[in-house]
Amino acid sequence: MTTLISDTEHQDRTVHRVLLGKKQVLVTEDEPLLPQLERSGILVEYQCREGYCSACTIKLLWGKVDYPIEPLAWVNSGYVLACCAIVKSDIEIALL
Amino acid sequence: MSYSTFNRKKFDSLQEPMFFGENVNVARYDQQKHPIFEKLIEKQLSFFWRPEEVDLSNDRKDFLKLEEHEQHIFLSNLKYQTLLDSVQGRSPNVALLPIVSLPELETWIETWSFSETIHSRSYTHIIRNIVNDPTKVFDDIIVNEEIAKRAVSVSKYYDDLIELVNLYNTLGLGTHHVPERGEVVVTMKTLKKALYLTVASVNVLEAIRFYVSFACSFAFAERTLMEGNAKIIKLIARDEALHLNGTQHMMNLMMSGRDDPEMAVIAQECQQDVINIFVEAAQQERDWAQYLFKDGSMIGLNAQILGQYVEYITNVRMQAIGLEPQFPTKNNPIPWINAWLVSDNVQVAPQEAEISSYLVGQIDNDLDGADFDDFDL
Ligand code: FES
Ligand SMILES: [Fe+2]
Ligand SMILES: [Fe+2]
Repeated sequence: MTTLISDTEHQDRTVHRVLLGKKQVLVTEDEPLLPQLERSGILVEYQCREGYCSACTIKLLWGKVDYPIEPLAWVNSGYVLACCAIVKSDIEIALL
Repeated sequence: MSYSTFNRKKFDSLQEPMFFGENVNVARYDQQKHPIFEKLIEKQLSFFWRPEEVDLSNDRKDFLKLEEHEQHIFLSNLKYQTLLDSVQGRSPNVALLPIVSLPELETWIETWSFSETIHSRSYTHIIRNIVNDPTKVFDDIIVNEEIAKRAVSVSKYYDDLIELVNLYNTLGLGTHHVPERGEVVVTMKTLKKALYLTVASVNVLEAIRFYVSFACSFAFAERTLMEGNAKIIKLIARDEALHLNGTQHMMNLMMSGRDDPEMAVIAQECQQDVINIFVEAAQQERDWAQYLFKDGSMIGLNAQILGQYVEYITNVRMQAIGLEPQFPTKNNPIPWINAWLVSDNVQVAPQEAEISSYLVGQIDNDLDGADFDDFDL
């Protein structure tokens, strides 16, 4: 469940759950999905890391993401560009 | 209909399809039917680079130290890339400009193809710097059987489309008798089908065909060998990712029917052909890896690992245009390659930062650590 937590600087930060198979990762809205997955040890394919190569495309089974800047790559519905998507709710994803 | 370099008709280009509508007349970018192509032009222009910016004097020393089978790997890859960029430096122009109908797409095609000519020029720069007689290397491209096989695959769809469009522009629609070819049926349907397969085949070229070669270049660089070459390959890879974006947009727009409803029907009918083009290219690339390593492997890479990488990347590229992945490989067997392919220069070492989107002077390879002492990072 999406939760509000207060961090040490007394800022409220929204935290969402990302489900991937049997794994669960907590992410914030402060940065895109890709670096947060990487930090939790999940390898996602990438190349440009700025939204134009489409290498980081992963399946979005359910949930909401948002792009602060519209990426150049084509994104089909049901997919998400991990390098530039901000997670906006709990989501479930699948790799290739 | 015959091609006109300045169509005198008055029409609303926002209502035209990407291809086979009116010939473009005014090169205007204030309004765009598909703004993505204008964005790609801007991005490509921001990527502009010149091969001479990269100093290759250390590569020459490195090359002489390579074992013979490693020299074979290195030169063969350069030859294959030379073939690919020879084709790409001209064919989008020759095949697509006579039939394109949107100004922003027309200019993207020209910008795209121009950037491929920079790649070709960079191969001359590399070859001239590492061997005494470049002619030997270039002359082999035409006679080398392994390269010839691939030349057929990368040019045949272009050539078919060009032939059909030539007939269409001179004789119009209908069944035409062509000497040594027999009856050729030119309908809007056969033209659009030839176009769709051409874009699919170019998409595969941009998506897969460079990557065995890229992997080898970066594997040398991981051993701190041929690092100037790796810098050039990084710049080429960045461009190729953008070209791939362009062909993926063309494919996806065609498949969606949003641009031209008839194209969606053709895309549906050709789906198996497109899958076959992917699978055939993947097979050729795996065979290429076998040829590269026929006399011995290099540290960190062998034909089997490269074959798996080809399958993996083919799956990724197929998914990007809504096709089912065709190979069992679900993970990248050489994940370290992505750190080399990444185009962002903010995150890399200061030396690397000299590769940038704007013009810089010649990169000096002989800087040692002391030269960076004054840098505050
Ligand atoms: S890594 Fe290139 S689009 Fe995400
Ligand atoms: Fe190229
Ligand atoms: Fe290209």
